[in-house]
Parts: sequence; C-alpha cells; structure tokens
Amino acid sequence: MSRSFLRFLVVSMLAVLTFVVAACGGNDNSSSSSTTKSSGGTTTNAAEAPAKKGGTFNMLAASDVDFNDPGHTYYTWGMVFTFATNRPLYSFKPDDGANPVPDLAEAAPEISADKKTVTVKIRTGVKYAPPVNRDVTSKDVKYAMERFFSVNVGGQYPGYFQPIVGSPAKPTKGVKPISGIETPDDQTIVFKLKQATGVSFAAALVMPITVPVPEEYAKPFDAKSPSTYNTHVAFTGPYMIKNDSKGSLTGYKPGKSIALVRNPNWDAKTDYRPAYLDAINVRTNATDANVAARQVIDGQSMGLDTNPPANILRDLVTKIKGQYLSVPSGGYRYFPMNTEVKPFDNINVRRAVMAGFDRDAARKARGGKYVGDIATHWLPPDFPGFKEAGGYDGFSDIDFFNKNNEKGDLAIAAKYFKAAGYASGKYEGNDEILMVGANADPGKAQAEVAQAQLEKMGFKVRLRLVPQDAVYTDWCQVPSKKVGMCGGAGWFKDFADPQSMLEPTFKGSLINRSSGNINYSMLNDPKVDDAMNKAALLEGDARLQAWADIDKMIVQDAAAIPFIWDKTTLAFSKNVNAVANPYIALWDLSYTSIK
Amino acid sequence: MSTGTPETLLESESIDLTDESAAGIAARSPLELFWRRLRRDKVALVSLGIVLFMVLMAIFAPLIVKVFGLPNPNTQNDDLLGDFGEPTGPSGAHPFGVDERGRDVLARVIYGSRVSLEVAFIATALIVIIGVTAGLVTGYYRGKVDTFISRVMDLFLAFPVLVLAVGLGVACADGCLGGAIQPGLPVVIFVITLTTWPYMARIVRGQVLSLREREFVEASRSLGAGDPRIIFREILPNLVAPIIVYATVLIPQNILYEAALSFLGVGVDPSKPSWGAMISDATSIFQDAWWFMLFPGLALLVTVLAFNIVGDGLQDALNPRTSK
Amino acid sequence: MASYIARRLLWTLLLLLVITAVTFLIFYVLPTADPAAQRAGRDPSPELITAIRHQLGLDKSLPAQYVDYTKNLFLHFDFGQSFINNTSVRSLIFDRLPNTLFLVLGAAVVWFVIGVSIGIISAVRRGSFWDRLLMGGALVAISAPVYWMGLVCLYLFSNDIGVWHIFPGSGAYQDAHGFFAKCWSLVMPWLVLSAAFAAIYARLLRSNLLETMNEDYIRTARAKGLSERRVVLRHGVRSAITPVVTVLGLDIGILMGGAILTETVFNIDGVGRLSFDAIQRGDLATIQGTTIVLAAGVAIMSLVVDILYAFLDPRVRY
Repeated sequence: MSRSFLRFLVVSMLAVLTFVVAACGGNDNSSSSSTTKSSGGTTTNAAEAPAKKGGTFNMLAASDVDFNDPGHTYYTWGMVFTFATNRPLYSFKPDDGANPVPDLAEAAPEISADKKTVTVKIRTGVKYAPPVNRDVTSKDVKYAMERFFSVNVGGQYPGYFQPIVGSPAKPTKGVKPISGIETPDDQTIVFKLKQATGVSFAAALVMPITVPVPEEYAKPFDAKSPSTYNTHVAFTGPYMIKNDSKGSLTGYKPGKSIALVRNPNWDAKTDYRPAYLDAINVRTNATDANVAARQVIDGQSMGLDTNPPANILRDLVTKIKGQYLSVPSGGYRYFPMNTEVKPFDNINVRRAVMAGFDRDAARKARGGKYVGDIATHWLPPDFPGFKEAGGYDGFSDIDFFNKNNEKGDLAIAAKYFKAAGYASGKYEGNDEILMVGANADPGKAQAEVAQAQLEKMGFKVRLRLVPQDAVYTDWCQVPSKKVGMCGGAGWFKDFADPQSMLEPTFKGSLINRSSGNINYSMLNDPKVDDAMNKAALLEGDARLQAWADIDKMIVQDAAAIPFIWDKTTLAFSKNVNAVANPYIALWDLSYTSIK
Repeated sequence: MSTGTPETLLESESIDLTDESAAGIAARSPLELFWRRLRRDKVALVSLGIVLFMVLMAIFAPLIVKVFGLPNPNTQNDDLLGDFGEPTGPSGAHPFGVDERGRDVLARVIYGSRVSLEVAFIATALIVIIGVTAGLVTGYYRGKVDTFISRVMDLFLAFPVLVLAVGLGVACADGCLGGAIQPGLPVVIFVITLTTWPYMARIVRGQVLSLREREFVEASRSLGAGDPRIIFREILPNLVAPIIVYATVLIPQNILYEAALSFLGVGVDPSKPSWGAMISDATSIFQDAWWFMLFPGLALLVTVLAFNIVGDGLQDALNPRTSK
Repeated sequence: MASYIARRLLWTLLLLLVITAVTFLIFYVLPTADPAAQRAGRDPSPELITAIRHQLGLDKSLPAQYVDYTKNLFLHFDFGQSFINNTSVRSLIFDRLPNTLFLVLGAAVVWFVIGVSIGIISAVRRGSFWDRLLMGGALVAISAPVYWMGLVCLYLFSNDIGVWHIFPGSGAYQDAHGFFAKCWSLVMPWLVLSAAFAAIYARLLRSNLLETMNEDYIRTARAKGLSERRVVLRHGVRSAITPVVTVLGLDIGILMGGAILTETVFNIDGVGRLSFDAIQRGDLATIQGTTIVLAAGVAIMSLVVDILYAFLDPRVRY
C-alpha cells in the first residue's frame, strides 16, 4: 500500500477513535427542545398566587460562581446559589429590598441603648443537610465569622465586621477566636462592638458571613490552604448542591455545571420561603450570550444568568414582552477622578468635566435606557435615603450636575474651565490622563466613551485595556499607579444602609495607600469625613437625611461622575414565573417557579 | 486504445519567436528576463497595483479621510446609535455604517491598514535580518555553531506558532524583558518576529549550504578572498532572489498573523483601529450589524490576496517552471 | 527498527523538555510583572500572593524554580492552580481536550480529502474553467482569515440566525448528543478550519502532479495503453503526493493554533476556547497549561505518525 494512503488511514483511524471517545464522553446538560415564541403577557416581581410546586429549572450562565464557601463569596452571581442553599441571620424578601427579615434569626436584632451591643436569637429546628445532619447552634455562626478572617478562607469584606471587639486587623493564620462574639447559649449570639455603630452593624448581618458553619465538620477543610470547605459546604437552605456521604460537592463541576436538589433536612415550618422548584441545573460555560439568550427565550423552563446582550434586550422589550424582569441593582456606576493627580486636583476642572460629560452616551454603551436610569447623584433608587437626596431629579441647585445636562452641557463646562484658568473654555494643559478599562464589553465600551468625552473637552487620554479583574486589583485600587480616571467603576450595596453606599468609596480616612483601595477618587475632605462620623451614630429619619446631605457634599466636591443607576434584566422562558431577589438584584431561586 | 488528451497534461511552452527575431536573439540579463515574465502576468500586475494602493492608503490615511468628508476614526457619535445602543448601517454619510460607538467604519478600515501594514512590514524586515544572519552563519560556518543553532531552530519549528504567540503575548501584556518591550504593538511585533525567524533562517541556511559548494565560491577562495568577502560578494547576491520570494510570502502571512492576534485580544492598542480587532468587536452583534464584520474582513482578504498573487507572480517570474 | 524508535522517542522527550523550558521562560522570566500576582486572581490579599509565591517556589533561584516546575509537570502532571477559577488547570484542560481533538483531527481528514481531490481535478483539467475557478478559490481561501470566514459562514448558513438555515450554528456542538449529531454540528467548523490548508495542499499537489506527469515513466504508462484515469491516480498521484504528505505532520501544529480561532467563533468548548477565555482574564496559569499541552500534543502526534510510518515504509528508517 502506498505511504500516503497509509498515512491517511492512520489519521482517519485516530480521528474516528477520538470522535468516539469524545462523543461518548459528552456530558453536556440537556438543552431546550421546543421553539415556541411567546407573545405579550405581563410579569410581576412577587410570585403570582397560586404558584405551582415542582419542576426543574435550567439556567445558562456565561461564567462560574466565584465561590460556594459562604465565608469567601463576594460576587452576586455566586450569592444566587449561596442564598438558595444557606441561611444567613437576616435576608430580604422579594418585595422589599430595604428592610431585611429574620431568616436564621428568630426576630429583629436587639440593639442596646449605647448601640455597642447587638443581640440575636437564633431559631430552633434548623438542621444541616446530609451528611452533617445536626441542628444549627449559635456557636456555628460564631465559628463562621471567625473563619472568615483566616487566610485560608479569605473573607472579602472584613471592614464591616472589624468593629467587633477582638476581631483581627489582618488575616489570621488559622481560625482565631474573637472575644467580642459571645454565645451564652445555643440559641443566642451577642456581638460587642468597639464603637456605637450598632445600627449599621445590625444591617450588615444580611451578608453571607453570618451563614452558620459547623466547626467539627469544617475544621479539617479549613486547615488546608486554600480551604477546601468550598467543595464541602454544609447547607441549611431549602436547596443544596448535590453531595456525597463525605460532604464532597459532586454536583459542582467547576467551569461546567452546578446541580441543586432539595435539602431533605429543610423544614418549611422554620422558613418563610416557598421553595417551589424541585431541582435547579445550571450550566456555567455558556459563553456565547447571544446563543444562550435565544435558547432561554425560545425554550422551556429556562433562565439566563444576567443581562442579555443589547440586541436581545431590544427584542425582549419591543417584540417578545413578558419574558423579562427588570430589577434595580441597588448601586451606582461611575467614573472616579483621581483628585491627587493633575489636572484633576483642581476642583473647577473636575466640575467642568462633570458638566460636559455625556452620561447618556455612557449609558448607551451599556445598552441604552432600558438598562438603567441616568444618575443625578449617588444614593440609588429604592434605597434608604434616595428620596431625601432628591430622588431621580437630584439637586437642582448644583448647576454643573443635574438632570438637565445628562447629555453633557459644554457651555456650563466652559464656565468652569474658565474659572480654572483656561480662557478658551476647554482644557489647554499638557497633563496626560491615564485611564484603565476592561478589555471586554461592557467595560471596554464605557471606557472608550469616557475617553472620547474627555478628549472632546481637550484632554489627552492614554487608555489601557486589561482583564476585567485586573482593572481593580492591579490598577484602580493601587494609588501608586496614579490612574487618573478609572474606566468605569461600580459600587453596589452590601446591605440596605446608606453608610455602606457612601463611606467605603468616599471617606478620606479609609484610603488605603498600598492596595485594595476603594476610594478611587482619593477624596480626602475633612468636612465629608466629619459628617460621616456623625451620621454613623444616627438612626431613623435623621440618619437618612444626614446621609442624603453627605451625598450632596460629595457631588459638590466633584469627586467622580456617577452615570447610571442600573437595573439588571433577567430573561427567561415563557413558562417561568421569575422572581428576583432585590438584595443581589438577581434570581431568587426559592421563589421562582414553573407555570 | 485511448491515448488520452495530451494537451491537457503535457506542456510545451510556446517559444515566441516573432518579437525576438527582429532584435536578433540578444542575450538578456536575468533582470530583464524577470521583468518580461512579470509584465506578461496581467493578474500579478493588477494585484501589484492593489498592493500599492493599499500602501498609499495607509500612508495618506488622514488625507483620504478628510477628502472624503469622513469623521476621524476615533470620533464617537452616540446619536447614530439606537435606543438600545445598536449601530446604524451603511448610509450616505457613512458608506460602511458605524460601529457600536458610532465611529465611522470606512474611516476605521482606512486607518486599519496602517496597523496591518506597519506591523507586517516591520516584523518581516526584522525576520529577514535575523533569519538571513542566522542562516548565513550556520550555513557557511557549519561545525558546532551550526549544529547548536540548527537544533534550536528545529525546536522552535516544532512549536505550534499561534499557541506560542498567544502565550508570549499574554505573558508580555504588561511589558517584557524589563520594559524593553512595551505593551501594545511592540509586543505583537516582538511575538511575530520571535516565532517566525527560524523559518527564514532554515531556508537561507539551505541555500547557503548548496551555494558554498559552487565553483565560483571555490574560485573566489582560491584567489585568496577571505570569508567576509565571499559571504558578501558571492553568496549574498545569490540569496537575493529566494529572500525576496520568501519575504513576499511572509508579508501577507504576517498581516493575517497580526490580525489573528488582535482578534484574540493580544497586543491591542485601543487608540489605533485594527482590522482584526474590529472583527473581534463585531462577533457579538454580527447577525444584526453585518457591516462592521464584513468590511474589515474584506479589506484583509483583498490586501492579503493581492500580496499573495504578487508573490506568486514574482516566484514564477524568478523561477519559471515548465508546468504552468 | 528499534533504534529508530528509540531515536525518535529520545528526540520527542528532548522536545518536551524544551517545550517546558520555553514555557517557563515565557511565563516566569520574560514578563515584567510579578508572576505570583499575575496568578493570584481577583481581589488577592497580600497574604494570598505570598502564599502563591511560596507555592510556586518563586523565592528560590531561577534554576531551582525550573527544576521544581519541571518536576511538578512530569512527575505529578500538575499544571498548577487557576486562581481565577479556583480549579486545577489540569482538570480544566483535560475535560476539554477530547473536543479539540475531535475538531482538529476531523479538520485534518477534511483538509486532506478536499485538498487532494481539488489538486487532482485541477491538474487533470489544467487551464480549464474549473481549474481556474478552483485555484482562484484556493487563493481566496488562503488569503481570508479563518475567524472571519467562520463569521461569514455563520451569517449565511447558520440554522438559527443565518440567511439560509442549513448548518448548525455557534454553540451547537455543546448541545449535540451522539456521534453523528456531533459530526453534523462540526461541518462548518471543519470546513472553515481546513479551508486554508486544503487550498495550500491543492495548489502544491497540482503543481507537483503537473511536473510528475511530464516524467518519462508516465509517458511509458500511457504508451502501454493504460487508461488515463489509471495513469493519473495510480502513477501520477502516488509520486506527486509524497512531498505533500511529508508536510502533513508539521502542519498539525498550525492546525492546533487555528483551533483557537475556530473554537472561539463557533463556541466549541475545547482547549482553544479555554485559551481565549484565559487571555481575556489574564489567567496566566491556564494559558501556560494550554501552551504546554498543545505543543506537547503536536510533538506526540508527530512521533506517533512517524513511528507508524516506520512500520509501513522501511526506507524511512535512516
């Protein structure tokens, strides 16, 4: 036989072999079958009564969760599943994103008169899923919070819990006890705080750090670096990730899929959640958003992880209707101006930029008017303090930033440029501004818009595009890199209190000069800091008004340009009763059902 | 008994005696023969014209854009975007439509030629310089130096090129060699050059190996010429033809190479429109906004095709084969 | 025979060592940035970076680092941890390897079949309309970028969004079950990936065939009264194809690179797509892993084919 023919044979045999292996090894999730198009119909946020129990919900997602470990997770996508499978002390019901309800806790927290002690009573009868199987105690919450601070777990928001007496200032080697967390009995947990910040501390108890973790079970996992509890989580919620008898999460295939089933030990009597669905299957590698969105819309019992691409959104809003849900994200997106870098060290220059910047163009880069409202100040819609800060209209007495100059008003900008010494009404200097943005849309899109806006006002901008995560960790959060304008930052509520909305991003005393700095503007206004310190101790309406005033001060300081209060759009199949969780502005799997 | 149709397979190059007989059978230098053959190849000439057009377009891009009344390629215009941010298609003011930022696609295509040609020419030049040097040294001097460098080259050649390029490109995203290679286009040029020089070197080496055994080299040596003289006077001139031929293959290859790298997001300079990056931007909405996927791709296709045809024509003119 | 195999094996081993050395250079020595920070993923604490630095042995001398790195690779098959995905790179890659192999080997077969057929047809019908059309088409196929052709094909022929609903579109491979469904979903990717190569080979084969057909022994065969078809296929192609096929092994490497582009456009969950996502996220650990695996794959495939050859053609064992 000729050599060429033989080579051909060889290659084909190899090919066939691999084909067979690949075809047999296919383990892809089931796809949607029917291709019916929907027409009209309305959607409400709360579950329409009576919702049907049962059914399997299939989700398509472009990326995996960050972590399953409730002590480690910080991204809202991961929290969709964290909150379906675990119970923190307090949670939010679908209809109210401002006032948390008791979840693992039995009742609202008791704050002492001096606001330095917070006491929480824990429900009885809440059990861990197999293989742990025992009742949850207050000591589990204590352990959960202590392990949060260890290097092996690496909790990402220590700032909210460092007010606890005895809490570590830096990540600990191993899990160290915190003296300020007391557990006088199995159902009671007492927090002792260093200052009178009980009100905001109580509001922070909605975060996943308060999800109970059984110490005797988790200890061996937490001893590893990084902790392997991430693949051995002990669940308390209505659902759980499928696991085996050793607790290993067999239903979690990193970068591929997650399988949730009902938690056999979940007692509906101890929980306000209806938990209609029987099972939830998630595919976490559906990277083509267009394809995934279309499959969801045309299919049955499916949902898309988060915002569909702009062209699909257009079809949903204008043609399809009835298969999407808009949830306010409870945050703002903004372009911070680094007040320590020329020329942004001049307040008039900053005010000029805020006046001339076309916020509508930046919103279009993210998908247009259905993606959110144009921001006129900081505190977002449906958030405590929003009304006091002027609502959608904002502050009418601030001429350089209000709802009239949403598309940028170059005349007003010129006024402030002149005040800064540039007679032509545009920037005339030579300082080049370093801007860092993400290398993929929508981050890239909004960075390009920001660059164009600055350039039209006369600035020279050097735009660097880097991976999404690196934008913050390597650039915007590192003051020594002297990033003039971060090409798009976002801050979303960690819990329903205005302090958490404005303090981490604009308080001078919280500037971190080495890394991990969130005050990208490097705003260091003693008046602002002072007001914040006072407002932290208030409660009720006085608290809301005080923080609304701080909102105005930050706008007047022209530290950054907020451009959108965005909404998340959830897309789903025709037969899905979608319900969103207003806290994370994503799916609430405990309320969603199949029609 | 069928004898087939010999005309379809056998070639007999018809010797055109008519125009030669008038001037007598004059001896023509290789260069003249080369030009004659090239001139006869109409398709190659047309392609040469296209190549020149592209080069001129790249050089005079700002002027062309102004003359046509097109906006600056980086000028964004969100009035041209719909409610959902979707771009408008080809129209009178914007013959190639606009992209997702409202930038004119025709202007960007024109400017995109700059990046493609700049990177391709610079990288090819560097590859020729490095490759010829390495090929000359190893081919002429042989011995241990040759063995070592040849092995190195073989190992380079065994590496899948794009894979290596991607790895290098990402690792060097923030700069490489302590800042000698800055992020952006220098990284792309660095990556292309580093992964391609062995191919040039191998070809040159092969040529040098056979050339050094030829009589004219021996003759030169017996006359007392030193190595440098032999290399530069005898060998190098004979390398010109194969070098040119390979360079004309390299240029379109490098144009595609650069486009592939910017499609993947390696070495992108956001301030400079690049055809590959434009196609990459188009991937998410090409089913609705076909124009800014189509035109950069066509630009690439036409440019590379033209270069390839010219390359083919040059090859044929330099080494005519009987079977054509 | 045995010595030939031994020599090839040794060469491949050396090649693998060099591949690891080169990747080590690329990912640890060349970059200006800190390798530990580059691998630390999102929002890393300084403590995590220190832990990674220790894990990677970055506090030791360069040669020592290289030894550790190679040991991990060869003895434990450990490609490191992707801190962006929080998973072992090895599992990320090997889960997807079958898909890439399916794509690449299928494309190789298509390329060979189409390339050879077109080359023969063009040579036999030299100068005719078909010859010009095919060779013109081949030139276009060589000149067009793979990913662009993919997009154009999807735009025209994809059965969900295309102008004409013919072939399965982007992402169809994931949802196809069974061997034939998977093959059907790969038709466009195979054609697109193999187009440029098929074109090159078609041209090469055509010119080789034309030269061969001038040889004396072909004239003899014809004179003996053999049918034209037999002359062309049996005698002409057989010798013309040898140089063409020699290059096949090397070009698998280029095919691997092309897979990155094809998988990205058609959304096939293979090693190429993994690389692309890793590029976007700057996930150095994963890119390093895919570089090594793809390069090693090429080396190993060449070795296998060459050894099989040696069994079949004794002349090869020089």
